[in-house]
Amino acid sequence: MGMSYRRYLNGARIYGCSNCKTHLAAIHTMISRAFNGQHGRAYLFEVVVNVIEGEPVDRVMTTGNHTVRDIYCCKCGETLGWKYIKAYEATQKYKEGKYILERNLLVDVQ
Amino acid sequence: MGPTNGHNGIASKTNGYSKPHVNGSSKSPVLNGVDGLKLKKRDTSIRQVALPGSTLYDDSHVDREEYIRLVIQSLRDVGYIESAATLEAESGYTMETPEVSEFRRCILEADWSNAHAALVRLGATEEDELWDAKFLISQQKYLELLEAGRTTTALQVLRRELARLSTDPDQLHALSSLIMCSNPEDLRQRANWDGASGNSRRQLLLSLQTESMNAFPQVTTAILEVHTDEVWNIAWSHSGNYLASVGRDKTAIIWRVEYDKDPSTRELSPQIILREHMFSVGCVAWSLDDSILLTASENIIKLWNSKTGVCKETLTQHTDVVAALTWLPDNSGFISGGLDRKIIFWDSNGRSVHTWTPCPVRVTDLAVMPDMTRLIVVGMYETSPTVPVGTTTPPEGGPPANAKPSSENRAIVYDLATKEPEMFIPLEGELSSVKVSGDSKYALINRAPASDSEPPSEIHLWDLETERLVKKYVGHKQSRHVIRSCFGGVDGAFIASGSEDGIIYVWHRDSGTLLEALTGHGAGSVNSVAWNPRNERMFASCSDDKTIRIWEAPPSTAAHPNSRIAEYALPELENGKGKGRERWDGYRAGSGSDVGASSIAL
Ligand SMILES: [Zn+2]
Repeated sequence: MGMSYRRYLNGARIYGCSNCKTHLAAIHTMISRAFNGQHGRAYLFEVVVNVIEGEPVDRVMTTGNHTVRDIYCCKCGETLGWKYIKAYEATQKYKEGKYILERNLLVDVQ
Repeated sequence: MGPTNGHNGIASKTNGYSKPHVNGSSKSPVLNGVDGLKLKKRDTSIRQVALPGSTLYDDSHVDREEYIRLVIQSLRDVGYIESAATLEAESGYTMETPEVSEFRRCILEADWSNAHAALVRLGATEEDELWDAKFLISQQKYLELLEAGRTTTALQVLRRELARLSTDPDQLHALSSLIMCSNPEDLRQRANWDGASGNSRRQLLLSLQTESMNAFPQVTTAILEVHTDEVWNIAWSHSGNYLASVGRDKTAIIWRVEYDKDPSTRELSPQIILREHMFSVGCVAWSLDDSILLTASENIIKLWNSKTGVCKETLTQHTDVVAALTWLPDNSGFISGGLDRKIIFWDSNGRSVHTWTPCPVRVTDLAVMPDMTRLIVVGMYETSPTVPVGTTTPPEGGPPANAKPSSENRAIVYDLATKEPEMFIPLEGELSSVKVSGDSKYALINRAPASDSEPPSEIHLWDLETERLVKKYVGHKQSRHVIRSCFGGVDGAFIASGSEDGIIYVWHRDSGTLLEALTGHGAGSVNSVAWNPRNERMFASCSDDKTIRIWEAPPSTAAHPNSRIAEYALPELENGKGKGRERWDGYRAGSGSDVGASSIAL
């Protein structure tokens, strides 16, 4: 595997892990603020970095059945949200490959 | 030992640049022309093909010459000598450096007055070998003069050169007795030498190449196995007697390596294991007097007493990963650089003297010139993700598919006194390593492509006086990982680098020719290489395979006729023994072709 550094983002606003400040996503790749996670409001992002993906699981959400992988901070291991692998409803297909981050687990970082 | 070709006669596969890992008929850049002479005469009807441009294809970044040279080398390595020769002829890219060509010309044309200088320029020899080689050249010159009947001049060579260079009175006596030979035929017979018009010059060339081979570290003399996870970085103490290693298992280990002792009897053991870090350790550096070892893990720097293993200080001023540590050449303290854009000067007790912030880049490595004039900083590329078009999704853990490299200059040369930037080096991609040459002239920077559209991984040699890129070294693999390189050999004549394919690559610094691709490490990356500061024939490498290897030149007992360099025997190591020691098993005589990677797979 070798040694590698965590990735760093730049942009107008960078969201990091509230626990350890690791860079996770930039505001200009945010697709939607209108999601709900386990801890309240959540954001949908096009691109998220420095996360480890868990095993795929099927989960029934308010918008139908989805296959998702939970995502964890690569530094501290905090569960931050999930990644959509497959949406079974045609109207929800746009979420495939995108990431949910829980707002309460995010903090602004530089 | 007879008076001629006394060192090794016709050595079949011997020179510093053969690759021990390939089977059988490894040919080398240096030997190539000689083999050409020994083999069939090269087909001179092959015409060189003239091609426009310098890239392999119109739309690629691949440098054609570099690529073709690697192909030629690969063909030669597996034994397709004629195919390699044909490709050399068609491409016009011969595998020789100008230095080697000049040296060969001097010997084959008996240009003795320039031969010694040409020999020195080959760069691979150290003092003992140089003297031995000079002796062989003078001996040839002496015999040719005698053969030509120029006895007076021959006597001058005997007195002025051979007497000074020889270490063996019997040998010198045997040579001087040849003056009594009645005629050239008698001389050739008594000297067991076939004359200026025979093969003697070519045999001399082979002998000389064997001499330079002996200086090149290309065999594993020890495998250090104590780390329980990937080994990420290594550093030699200034004394050359200790090696510090750090890695993913959160430890730092100080090993005693008696660099000046015979590999079979030297002490080689872990002295101290430093276990106080909470996370993986990526950085390590020694104080000038070797009394302090510095390590860094995440944002924490620790100062250790290198003798007792006691942690003297824990420094927490950095707010993100510390990626570089270097002791100052004037012993006033050390410098750290981090991904938090901070460069901090510390005194030798760990008190911060000055924080240089914010640096324009997130520092991934830094180096101070030995003459204390300049500090060279390389830094990280920051992804500026944009919303992809279509359905592209970023690969797991990898860069966003459409990330654009930022345009900032990420290699910066500072005036150390004024702390003002002097020079910005334009480089694309990820920069993971910077080293400076002992003469403060060159900087060596590893760059890896940050996206598929960039040129492949390269190591750049920058001349900091002329502010020019003077050489690129290619062939190794680096993408997302931190891979480090170093200068090595006499006057830093070699460039060595780790690689993600588990191979250690060694180039000739001035020509850029790939000299060695050393195998032996297991799966994963070779993360770093470090040349012993006191022994030009020794370096160390560390790998994801949890081990460190010590590489050395074969013993200077020289090769026997028809012998090949054998690997050190590498028996299966006992687990948990806490000590990895290998013994030199001597040369494997005969024409065995089974030495190499396959025989040492652990
Ligand atoms: Zn975290």
